Amino acid sequence: MRLIMHNMLTCNIKGVINKSPLRIEAEKVIKKEVDFNPDFLRHMLAKIEWKALVDGARSMGYTELPVHAPGIESDEPFLRKFHHALLELNLEEGSLVCQESGRKFPVNKGVPNMLLHEKEV
Amino acid sequence: MTTTASRGSVAVTAAAASSAEALREGIAEFYNETSGLWDEIWGDHMHHGFYDPDSSVQLSDSGHREAQIRMIEESLRFAGVTEEKKIKRVVDVGCGIGGSSRYIASKFGAECIGITLSPVQAKRANDLATAQSLSHKVSFQVADALDQPFEDGISDLVWSMESGEHMPDKAKFVKELVRVTAPGGRIIIVTWCHRNLSPGEEALQPWEQNLLDRICKTFYLPAWCSTTDYVELLQSLSLQDIKYADWSENVAPFWPAVIRTALTWKGLVSLLRSGMKSIKGALTMPLMIEGYKKGVIKFGIITCQKPL
Repeated sequence: MRLIMHNMLTCNIKGVINKSPLRIEAEKVIKKEVDFNPDFLRHMLAKIEWKALVDGARSMGYTELPVHAPGIESDEPFLRKFHHALLELNLEEGSLVCQESGRKFPVNKGVPNMLLHEKEV
Repeated sequence: MTTTASRGSVAVTAAAASSAEALREGIAEFYNETSGLWDEIWGDHMHHGFYDPDSSVQLSDSGHREAQIRMIEESLRFAGVTEEKKIKRVVDVGCGIGGSSRYIASKFGAECIGITLSPVQAKRANDLATAQSLSHKVSFQVADALDQPFEDGISDLVWSMESGEHMPDKAKFVKELVRVTAPGGRIIIVTWCHRNLSPGEEALQPWEQNLLDRICKTFYLPAWCSTTDYVELLQSLSLQDIKYADWSENVAPFWPAVIRTALTWKGLVSLLRSGMKSIKGALTMPLMIEGYKKGVIKFGIITCQKPL
């Protein structure tokens, strides 16, 4: 699971208000190279929940991202870090944790399992 | 698990909530077991091909694969989804091994998120995306179509290609599709239905229900409803520009072709290796043909737009 996906995932347990972001507990992280595409990255910058990305990257061992995203002009060194965090870090094994309920959603072989139990819906 | 569709309501399993979890597990196990086999013989599109009606030419394997691509293209066209619409983010509900997602991501340059109950399918879908250099655009996870792990309105195209059949609660399924669609976004549902009921008809004939029940069990289909049922659900949720069509004639060559591939040497060996669910699935395929021929089973497309 890459952080571009993590940024979108929510916990839909009945009654939970604070559905996202999910905290990451990383057990195995692998890096997979992805082609660098500045236009795509600039487009994504507007859509990404920045704090979730920074925290997620830290949980996966990457601490290079600035605490705040830059303004409109984003230079290449920044985009490279953004690219790496967003697309190249892969959570292979671990959990996504709902910050409000504590519920853990497992991630196995890179695939998050977001299925809820009957009593949670 | 048997159901009856009745006028004015959509079929819901009579059993309690715990059987919904059992159904989910059944569906997951079915696809965990059979996807590899399908992938090997038919490739990455786990849906019917779209053919010209009454086409008598027997197609090659590649002809059928082209028909499967054509199904995606015809569905997009029917829904009025063109390049000009600037589709940015797609949710693929019941994504299989991601064939539609990867195709649509390539076509529109859109981000596609796929959900499936099968961990085996999700892993394979992600691996194929990596192999096709699409992993920055598409990703797949295990999630329930009836409880999608997304905020409201995240998607401008919600795509359900032959997954509606698996949903035990059609009303909840449609509500979730609508919830994750952005205002102005479109929904495309392509699904197996039973025929529309005639005015005054409360339910299918017993022999028709019996036929569907036999198919339900093997393919883990909890409920069939009609195209009209979907249209009425969408109308009740105030969706706009609702369009629908019966494409049963356009998919007629598909099951005979699937049976033919199953009966090849490669097909038989693969079936035996794959396991009982695959074998039972193969044995059920003639019932699909019977269902279509007798007008009980319909292949329907329903599309709509969410108001701004």
